[in-house]
Amino acid sequence: MRYDDITEAIGNTPLVRIDPAVHGLRTVDLYAKLEMLNPFGSVKDRAAWNMLRPGLDAAVAERAEVVELSSGNTAKALAALAGLHGLTFRSVTNRMRVPELRELLLLLGARIEELPGRSECLDPTDTDDPLTQFHRALAEDDSAHLHTDQYFNPRNTEAHATGTGPEIVKDLGCRAPDWFVACVGTAGSSSGVARVLREHDPNVGVLGLVAAKSDFIPGIRTIDEVNEVGLFDPATYDAIEAVTADEAIDGMVELNRRCGLLAGPTSGAAYRGAVRHLRALDGTRPERTTAVFIACDRVESYLGYVRRRRPELLGRAPHRNSPATVTEAELAAVHAVDVEAARRWIEEERPLVIDLRGSHAYAALHIEGSLNLVDELFEQQVHGGLPFSRRQPVLLVCPVGEKSARFAALLTRMGHPDVRSLAGGVVAWRDAGAPLVRE
Amino acid sequence: MGAPLFLEPRLEPPLRELLDDPGHLHDLVEALGSPLHLVLPEVVAANVAAFRAVYRRHRLGGRICFAHKANGSSALVRRLAATEAGLDAASVNELSHALGSGFAPERVVATGPKNPAFLWLAARAGATVHVDAPAELADLVRLVRAEGLPRARVLLRLSAFASDGGVHLLARRSRFGTPVGEVGELLDVVEREADAVELLGVAYHLDTTDLNEKALALESCVRVLDEARRRGLAPRVVDIGGGFGTSYLADGEQWERYTTELTQAVLGRRPPLTWRGHGYGLRNEGGTARGRLSLYPAHRPVAGPGYLDALLSTPAPTLGRTLADLLLEHLHDLWIEPGRALVDQAGLSLARVVDVRATEDGAHLVRLAMTAADVSLEEHGVLTDPLLVPRAGHGNGNGHGNGPAVGVYLVGDLCLEADLVTRRLVFLPRLPDRGDLVAFANTAGYCMDFRAHRAQLRPGARRVAVGRRDDGTRWWSLDEQYWPTTR
Repeated sequence: MRYDDITEAIGNTPLVRIDPAVHGLRTVDLYAKLEMLNPFGSVKDRAAWNMLRPGLDAAVAERAEVVELSSGNTAKALAALAGLHGLTFRSVTNRMRVPELRELLLLLGARIEELPGRSECLDPTDTDDPLTQFHRALAEDDSAHLHTDQYFNPRNTEAHATGTGPEIVKDLGCRAPDWFVACVGTAGSSSGVARVLREHDPNVGVLGLVAAKSDFIPGIRTIDEVNEVGLFDPATYDAIEAVTADEAIDGMVELNRRCGLLAGPTSGAAYRGAVRHLRALDGTRPERTTAVFIACDRVESYLGYVRRRRPELLGRAPHRNSPATVTEAELAAVHAVDVEAARRWIEEERPLVIDLRGSHAYAALHIEGSLNLVDELFEQQVHGGLPFSRRQPVLLVCPVGEKSARFAALLTRMGHPDVRSLAGGVVAWRDAGAPLVRE
Repeated sequence: MGAPLFLEPRLEPPLRELLDDPGHLHDLVEALGSPLHLVLPEVVAANVAAFRAVYRRHRLGGRICFAHKANGSSALVRRLAATEAGLDAASVNELSHALGSGFAPERVVATGPKNPAFLWLAARAGATVHVDAPAELADLVRLVRAEGLPRARVLLRLSAFASDGGVHLLARRSRFGTPVGEVGELLDVVEREADAVELLGVAYHLDTTDLNEKALALESCVRVLDEARRRGLAPRVVDIGGGFGTSYLADGEQWERYTTELTQAVLGRRPPLTWRGHGYGLRNEGGTARGRLSLYPAHRPVAGPGYLDALLSTPAPTLGRTLADLLLEHLHDLWIEPGRALVDQAGLSLARVVDVRATEDGAHLVRLAMTAADVSLEEHGVLTDPLLVPRAGHGNGNGHGNGPAVGVYLVGDLCLEADLVTRRLVFLPRLPDRGDLVAFANTAGYCMDFRAHRAQLRPGARRVAVGRRDDGTRWWSLDEQYWPTTR
């Protein structure tokens, strides 16, 4: 397939059936609409392009900056689209909670502005929601900008009413599914698709999924946050149900490991939410039920999210030469020297003094003649073996003498004959009035 | 009216045991009048220890200062004087109070806007001065010179921390502190006037619950101290202020259900929960909720010492280490100024029911012998359910729910429409009778005297300190009569 530019590759995504052996519903045909296969990686590509297009020529003429309140996929798509047309992009976010996405945006040349967090003391002069604050800030901003306004822009919904929805109907052989399931973020995809499906068959059921209130699932709003969205209309949905982050990750892993779909947690939430809802209906109708959910984006950006919430999914066995494996007995056997003894030892035998603190702290003040090997790097080095000669005596130094004792125990176990730890660390050194230098 | 929605307060044993003794509470109000504030000095001492434990876990040293403005109680301040805590005084009277309560000057920091008297007493006594701006530093230097005072110890209060790199953190504008970009000017003065002022370190206080904003500020402070060291100064304190928060509610699900229903009520999708449809900052614009919920986040999974722990475990935005490691490795001390978090569970406020009447919509107005300002939970956006303390022989107010819960608005006795002790419908196990007491739990942080006034020539609420002896019997004392020798 040959295209003149990448925007032509937006849309026409596949509809893939989920193996019933995986979802376990006997009378349901469940399909995933693979929006993650859009060129910039998510369902937002459609809305971003549709919202940007009408103002594009004018924006290019006045070199306007594209701006949007987004912390995720819309920003990603807009950053790529803005760059494609020689424009800059600024993403204003309530909090960028997925670090990989933040870095990807920076890589794409976006500027990121993060709105302040909630105040601790109640301040009656601080009355506006982030969306309103953002709208006001834009109104005061004299520089040329093109605000795509995804939470209120009808072209967001329209992108799905003219694209996603009709594609589903066509791929199901000109039929609407019995159930359509989508996570609610801007409500664009769920409202747009629902509108088209209902025009085709008024009996289509629409399930909207929101995040459990204290949970965070990327791209999904909580039951309260959806009310701040201009495009959100509760009448669109036959049911609105909450999904937890754990369910989202479980669903994601099932899609990843059993279905060959490298979809992210939002897709996992849609899948899990769909199966949970449909299970109650399974076998209650004479005919088979068809259901479609949106697989909104890919898994790769969410490894940090998974690592924080479910580290066991990424688990690896601890390394043998790791300070974490040091035993109490090994720690007790460490040769710890107090400040006075350490100073004498340095004077007489010139041991290698290794300071394990961060490089900035080391640069600020350190023991003269010492060498800075930041603990994280040092730990990686000793994984492979002793990083210095056994004939070289070593004094390890850290802030209070705990990390250094641990490393001293490890190096001793690895066969070093004379490694010592500064008892009480640099703090004790300072408190004893011993000299620290800044070079 | 809809099904009752509860926001049950979190009650740790000291407060719970007090509430389990209604006779004692009635005796106190009988003797001292309504409203009446109770403070629990021993709880505050335990809270200091809980913060210290976090320091110890991170191997950090430094001062834990009580932000006095949270509560004017003498008992609390005197009890704190008997612990290792320091004190953050924000006025000349708070400073005098601290000194007269047993705080040696070196344990006190003078913060906030300062008039000449406050600055003089701080400098004269030798308290540490939080310097808000270059002009204040100049005033202090002039004062020290003119009066021949000892060298004043200062912390420079900084603000407007800017992130570098591609991500720009927008912060709420603050009235206080010197923008960190202009700190060079302050350091110039400190260097030049070294015989008049001694730089202990730098400080910030950010009014935000967000850890990343605080991480950025703390890292910026470390860089400023670095610059100060480069200039040959020897500062070692980073004072991160307060804002550790308190969790007021026992049950997070109740809080979530309540706030969801509140949004629905504002959008007209359920009957109102509040007096005249008050939205607590939310408004309905064409079916979309706009505005910001002006409520204290009353259920917080992480608050107080736990919040400090989380903050110290947060990585510094550019230097990479955790904030605790960053401070420790730079050999800095951490000072904190918790107010609300340090008096968590250390207060209870009581008021007597003087009138009960029905409204047209089936709710009741329960008038209390107090004004809304005497327990300013609403003013501070803290929503927790009041507790009914029945008169002797009327059973237990909380378990005594033979019938369904009753929705009431608690109103004050000012001659003013807006004098609502609760702007929302609160549910009690039964309709109160005249003479019953209503108790507000956990009011020691900002909810006792911060907003109190004397309108209509009303006397202010009395305050008493309460506690238990080793044998379990109760003691109480007028707040001003309490000393740590009181048993």
